[in-house]
Amino acid sequence: MHRLHLTLLLAAKDWRLFWADRRGALLCFLVPVILASAFGAVFHRPATSLAASRLPVLIVVEDGSEFAAQVAADLLVTPRFQARWATAGEVEAALANRRPAVAVLLPRGFARLQDWQPGSTADRPEVRILYHPTATTERQWAEGVVTEVVMKRLARSKFGGLLPPHDDAVFATPFRVEGVPVSAGATARFNSYSHSFCGMTLQYLLFWGMESGLQFLRERQRGVWLRTRAAPVPLGCVLAGKALATAGIALLQVLVTFGFGYVAFGVTVTGSFVGFVLLCLAACGLAASTGLLVAALGGTEARARSVSILVILGVSMLGGLWLPSFLLPGWLSDTALSLPTAWAMRGLGGVTWEGLGLGAVLPSVAVVAAFAAAFLTFAVIRLERSERHFRRGEQ
Amino acid sequence: MPLPVALSLCEVRVRYGPRWVLDGVSLTVRRGEVVGLLGPNGSGKSTTLAVAAGVREPLAGRVAVEGLSPGSDPAGYARRIGFVPQECALYEELTAAENLDFFGRLYGLSGAELRRRVTRTLARVRLSERAGHRVGSFSGGLKQRLNLAVALLHDPPVLLLDEPTAALDPAGRDALFADLARLRDDGHAVLLSTHHLDEAELGCDRVVVLNAGRVVAVGPPAEVFRCHARERPVLYGHVRTCPPRFLLRAVRQRLGPGVEVEMTGRRLRLSARDTAELGQALAAVLAEGVELETYRTPRGTLERAVRADSSAGSERGRLG
Repeated sequence: MHRLHLTLLLAAKDWRLFWADRRGALLCFLVPVILASAFGAVFHRPATSLAASRLPVLIVVEDGSEFAAQVAADLLVTPRFQARWATAGEVEAALANRRPAVAVLLPRGFARLQDWQPGSTADRPEVRILYHPTATTERQWAEGVVTEVVMKRLARSKFGGLLPPHDDAVFATPFRVEGVPVSAGATARFNSYSHSFCGMTLQYLLFWGMESGLQFLRERQRGVWLRTRAAPVPLGCVLAGKALATAGIALLQVLVTFGFGYVAFGVTVTGSFVGFVLLCLAACGLAASTGLLVAALGGTEARARSVSILVILGVSMLGGLWLPSFLLPGWLSDTALSLPTAWAMRGLGGVTWEGLGLGAVLPSVAVVAAFAAAFLTFAVIRLERSERHFRRGEQ
Repeated sequence: MPLPVALSLCEVRVRYGPRWVLDGVSLTVRRGEVVGLLGPNGSGKSTTLAVAAGVREPLAGRVAVEGLSPGSDPAGYARRIGFVPQECALYEELTAAENLDFFGRLYGLSGAELRRRVTRTLARVRLSERAGHRVGSFSGGLKQRLNLAVALLHDPPVLLLDEPTAALDPAGRDALFADLARLRDDGHAVLLSTHHLDEAELGCDRVVVLNAGRVVAVGPPAEVFRCHARERPVLYGHVRTCPPRFLLRAVRQRLGPGVEVEMTGRRLRLSARDTAELGQALAAVLAEGVELETYRTPRGTLERAVRADSSAGSERGRLG
């Protein structure tokens, strides 16, 4: 009971010290909110926006035939493209700047396509898709749309005389395509703000943990550490108080960041709320244990700061805290599963926008909590040993 | 009848790596006594205080406060010690009262008793009016007074002060020694370290002179001094602004090898072979534009004792 009292007392002191620098405290909450909002805005694609699903392309026609002109006109009006005319000279400059990244070129001799017969092995006319080297996905998108448009125009050209002249429905694809988002949750609707608020919250929890560790290192260099060690306070209480204060402030950071996300951008918990709470608590524990780990391994403050920033940025990127981890190469996203950030992100994404239930996110909770426990155990052992060496004059 | 021994160190040995920083140090401090721990830098003063505070563990020897050792009852031992580290051991982001409140609670105080003691201790070090001010806004003197107040809050029988006058001006130093004299009269045992010998003469009942981790002299300041009466006249001063080093070098070169001129922070120490030469040295320093706020020429000094024994290297002895 007495130890608990001492632990709470030390944690309350750190809490008071945190709030003593009000501007610093404010920034601690403001920075993740600003970054999460910025990331969310950059990657936000409203589901109902038609413009967002239209690919910007340039259309270049070198063939003077009526058929080529008709295909070009079809490409200009298709709802899948945001197309405009261009000359061959304009295309080169535009593609170099990715404005846009794709162009469709109907070269001379394109009209020979009208002579095509099913099963013919004769030399086939070509359609050129010009693209920026980084726009391979857009190239494939353009190829699909061009194929659809050209085949429709070809069918109209071949069989048009047999059918009513203005009945476009006749040439519609004989099947309907429906996109179905697949997720373990029943109500999955991706919200880029959900991803960015989960990611930035986790990243700044780790940064807060690091800052707490650096404060601890600073404190150990000061006279207050000697005074505290001379007082009737076991080292375990000092470390527990530090971890408790760090975790408490981290929890407040989570509440503020997600609260802002909810009010401003509709970031909600569509899955298990209990799972969300457990994940947040585990992540706060991870922040606290990271702080003690930084203090235990850091050596000097400057060295600890440099290494910690590098490690936190690394595990944030690999864990998918900045961008979804599926954008990483497969082997890298598999390797990232050895990091607590990847599991925390997977779990938080699951309960926020994927709508996963408690059972589905419990493995994530367990892994993050296990990492926190491992970090904490290692840090406490190291710090106790270091303190023992100090007392005996071995360092 | 002598008052009981409050703090005792017996044959304490401490090693940092391969170097023995304390090599068989023994000393006692009685209740109602102020003992000065003297010695050059690196002689083991701070380590002796850290061992006495229970922050360092000796490899050999015994430490006890009122018969209690840190190993047998760590919490009980800690409650009997008031430790003032060399650096400012306060949270600068908190107010004076908040610092006292926090450290008081660490020592098990709470409620009305804690509030009463905070008020009383602040009054004792004349900081009542600054209770609600952040420590970061305090001058060096105020911080040192609060530093002492934190150590006094739980009313320990033994006070340990590591170079308590390091950041103080002459007025602050005099006030601190007046405080320590009051504490001595209240029955506290005080052990303080300093390498300013005039301070030891000013405020200590006994001095323990350390060199290279060994006790080389113990006794009342005057008695230790008598054993080393081959003193040179010395002048201690406190300058208004610290003169540049090249100025001191120029003064030293002009005065010749018989005169020593040293600056530690804003403290000036002049010594010469005789009083006439000391007068010339003072005149030369003043001629360079160095302004003295205060100065004193102690009747006798322990300087010789420390310096003679420092030069004797590891030779062990007890003087006085």
